[in-house]
Amino acid sequence: MVVYRRSWSTLALGLALVMAPACKKKTETGAAAPDTTAAAPAPAAAPFSVQGVEVGKQVGSDKRVTAASTTFGPKDTIYASVATDGAAPSKTIAAKWTFGTGKLVKADSQTIAPTGPAATEFHISKPSGWPVGKYKVEISVDGSPAGSKDFEVKK
Amino acid sequence: MTPAALTLSEDKMADPKEPDFSDVESGSSSTAPPPATSGGRTYTVVKGDSLSKIAKQFYGSAGQWKKIYEANQDSIKNPDLIYPGQTFRIPDA
Repeated sequence: MVVYRRSWSTLALGLALVMAPACKKKTETGAAAPDTTAAAPAPAAAPFSVQGVEVGKQVGSDKRVTAASTTFGPKDTIYASVATDGAAPSKTIAAKWTFGTGKLVKADSQTIAPTGPAATEFHISKPSGWPVGKYKVEISVDGSPAGSKDFEVKK
Repeated sequence: MTPAALTLSEDKMADPKEPDFSDVESGSSSTAPPPATSGGRTYTVVKGDSLSKIAKQFYGSAGQWKKIYEANQDSIKNPDLIYPGQTFRIPDA
């Protein structure tokens, strides 16, 4: 009678070689097979947010207030600049200007599709001159409050 | 009898202290572009697609995939992973 003495180490090695392909990690089979010629994927884009609101007497070409001010003269044009960051397919920024205890002066809105840092300016002027007193500009984004600034008109 | 001409109703009495903002002029502008028009192009993903492949098809350049990604961040969580059936807005070039 012949007794075959198997070497368990040899047997284990053989089993490992046979099983290895079956244990290969499953790859994603989604539709987005990476294109090897494509650019490296972008880091996650920052969500849209309002960075700040400034008021002043003029804005630069970047739509930002050149010198912030909270006091204006009766003949000044008043600017409000809203700095934002992040990307969004569509955002409506609104500015509501009020006088005193809430009398509406003017309301405007601007719909934008930012892809990064941006600035949006709103401005008001009054040919007959601003009444002296306290004013406020309230900024909202898609109807939600996003900031405000108080300012005053003095003679 | 009170002469009618001397009787004024409250709403016809001018309040000299109430400011008048009827002549206020206003405007706005932004460094950000306006949204693509509602009639813009869309594309439905099919098996085998990738953002770079779609960008190549619409813009002639695979490197423009980021434009599609940024216009659809509400539905694309991972730019490396898109699924058949997803519909993306394709911004103008």
